[in-house]
Amino acid sequence: MAGVRLEQVTKLYGRKMAVKEVNLVCKEGEFFSIVGPTGAGKSTILKMIAGIETVTSGKVYLGDRVVNDLPPQERNVSMAFETYNLYPHFNVYDNIAFPLRAPRWDLKLSQQEERRRIEEIADFLGIGELLERLPQHLSGGQKQRVSLARALVRKPHVYLLDEPIAHLDARLKFSTQTLLKEFATTFRSTILYVTHDYREALALSDHMAVLRKGRIEQEGTPYEIYNTPATDFVGNLIGEPPMNLIDGEVVTRDGKTLFNVGEGFSVPIREDRLASLKKVTRQEDGRAVTRLGIRCEHIRLSREKISDRSVQLPVYAIVHETGSSVVTFELKGMFLYARTGEERSLCDYCLSEKVWLDLDQDHLFFYPKPLEAPKA
Amino acid sequence: MSRVDLNQVWKIYPRGNVVAVKDLTFTCAHKEFLAIVGPSGGGKSSTLRMLAGLEEISRGEVLFDGKVVNHLGPTKRNIALAFESYALYQRLTVYENIAFPLRARGMRDAEVDQKVKSIAELLDLESVLTRYPSGLAGGQQQRVSLARAFVRKPNVTLLDEPISHMDQRVRAELRARIRRLHNELGLTTVYVTHDQAEAISLCDRLAIINQAELQQIGTVDEIWNRPANRFVAYFVGEPAMNFIGARAESAQSVSIQTPNGKRVFRFNGELNPRYVNAEIALGVRPQQIKVLRKEEEASIPSSVKVIEFQGETTVLTMQLGDVAKSEPKAVVQATERFGIGEAVWLHFSPEIIHLFDQDTPILRRN
Repeated sequence: MAGVRLEQVTKLYGRKMAVKEVNLVCKEGEFFSIVGPTGAGKSTILKMIAGIETVTSGKVYLGDRVVNDLPPQERNVSMAFETYNLYPHFNVYDNIAFPLRAPRWDLKLSQQEERRRIEEIADFLGIGELLERLPQHLSGGQKQRVSLARALVRKPHVYLLDEPIAHLDARLKFSTQTLLKEFATTFRSTILYVTHDYREALALSDHMAVLRKGRIEQEGTPYEIYNTPATDFVGNLIGEPPMNLIDGEVVTRDGKTLFNVGEGFSVPIREDRLASLKKVTRQEDGRAVTRLGIRCEHIRLSREKISDRSVQLPVYAIVHETGSSVVTFELKGMFLYARTGEERSLCDYCLSEKVWLDLDQDHLFFYPKPLEAPKA
Repeated sequence: MSRVDLNQVWKIYPRGNVVAVKDLTFTCAHKEFLAIVGPSGGGKSSTLRMLAGLEEISRGEVLFDGKVVNHLGPTKRNIALAFESYALYQRLTVYENIAFPLRARGMRDAEVDQKVKSIAELLDLESVLTRYPSGLAGGQQQRVSLARAFVRKPNVTLLDEPISHMDQRVRAELRARIRRLHNELGLTTVYVTHDQAEAISLCDRLAIINQAELQQIGTVDEIWNRPANRFVAYFVGEPAMNFIGARAESAQSVSIQTPNGKRVFRFNGELNPRYVNAEIALGVRPQQIKVLRKEEEASIPSSVKVIEFQGETTVLTMQLGDVAKSEPKAVVQATERFGIGEAVWLHFSPEIIHLFDQDTPILRRN
């Protein structure tokens, strides 16, 4: 095992910047995820580490060694792709066996030892019954697990996994996710993992990076990324419903600083939060504007006024989760979500009923309001 | 009034003699939001297509407001349809897409205009009416598709996975919009999805279909608290209900065997005495298990095996200290931190315990 380090890595496709000056460190034995929307450059980073793509500038380290010029087969990495890339004329057993037989690694396993390893990983991923089948007789979810088994059967320096469970149906996805996490913690494997699904990244990672247009927007533990999103982009990408992002004006009235959106939504900001508010407030058409972020679980709802910071809004709609409800409000064309811990039968607000909202000021975030309107 | 009844409906595809829907009987009441949910290939979409008139009914009857509509084509049923693929006319503007079903019935321009504008306002589409679908984001295109479905007041709205492939922001928004439209327009809605969480979020009642058959129909609370069989118990809720091998001790208690003797749990309700001493399955939902740091009554020792952070909550996979070495899951608040290998006790309070004999729930609750 070895760690992976990227230093100022940039990738250009012609003039198109796919990855820009990325620095990241995945320590030995760590599970590191890269999460971001489609086209953010996630897979490109993984391919540069694997040696399938060249690096335009910057350095890729495996352990202490710069590997920019090392061909893929010399890097001792193991990869699983979203497209399964199985050998169609090999059965499942031989597909998984392929990396064990590669002359480069000179493993020279006995047949019994080879079979033991393959059956172990296949049983672990729930495909032990499929070993004699050809890929064409497998479902998409089965193919994906074969591809994952082939990546995990060997012990390389680093595992590079690109959306390895994206095509499994929901139940199987969650159970395979748990298996992957168990695999990682049991063998203390170094894993770099790419996904567009923030839930996988939160659940699996020791550290994660959020990628946006080829740049790292934030890097940290899943707990940090979820609880203290550095930018509104991160808040928007992580969580369902995503973080509430509300644009408004900062006004001072009777010595109090208010975050004012209109339609009665005017929240006094607590003294100790003013510093972080001022840092990102800017002038627009002679008004001081900013963007407020708060997660739906940090808004309290009540029919009675909760505090002198409470504001009132009419209910737009209520949707439910098992054990909780999400009350939606509409505010100047923006949607605002508040999660109540109440069971659906207890959450009995009517449509258009005015309800008091109390924003937990310990969990308020302020971000610069973008220059263009974000909403189409 | 718009009420939908299915009366012993079958769908049999003659080629291969495949039974896609088997003896289906249920009702969607006037102004009800009913979700049909189940694994793919279970017969949900065939059911919806028979309601829409897109698929012939092999046996049985579909009734709208008490009238049999088996022989009526899709256009005669006054239904609104929206699919996962928006199926918009790419060469028509958003306005003309929404107006299409009205013009098809020969409605006058002035009336068309008024109807299109009022539905566009409800769905926040006023600013894009002159644009073409190809220039819109996925969420907007689905809103256009919904507007087209709702623009003439339909008897019944049929939605087939309309939002399952969207990203989470758009999904949260469209869920709220669909629920709002349903209430505000007083619609009767049948909503098909494979995603149990989505069904739970929106519907008044759930119909769970698997292997061509109705497994259970009821409110979310009924299905959550009183699943009709083990499939339903497992299907609804994420993470799914845990099943642990157990033995009935008496009509009010059950035990789990550990290497150091048995752990006894009392439950609400009553068990038929004939099960006493029988091997049964104890079902507990991960969301309802209490994870304790020290031993208490009605708890069983275990250790933390896998930790998966979810944001607001964390899912723990346990290595249970029972002889069968089960690995149940438990959901805890993310603020409670646990370490891998940490010794904990799982507490099952009487009201969260379900009992099954094979597929059948055997606990009688009052």
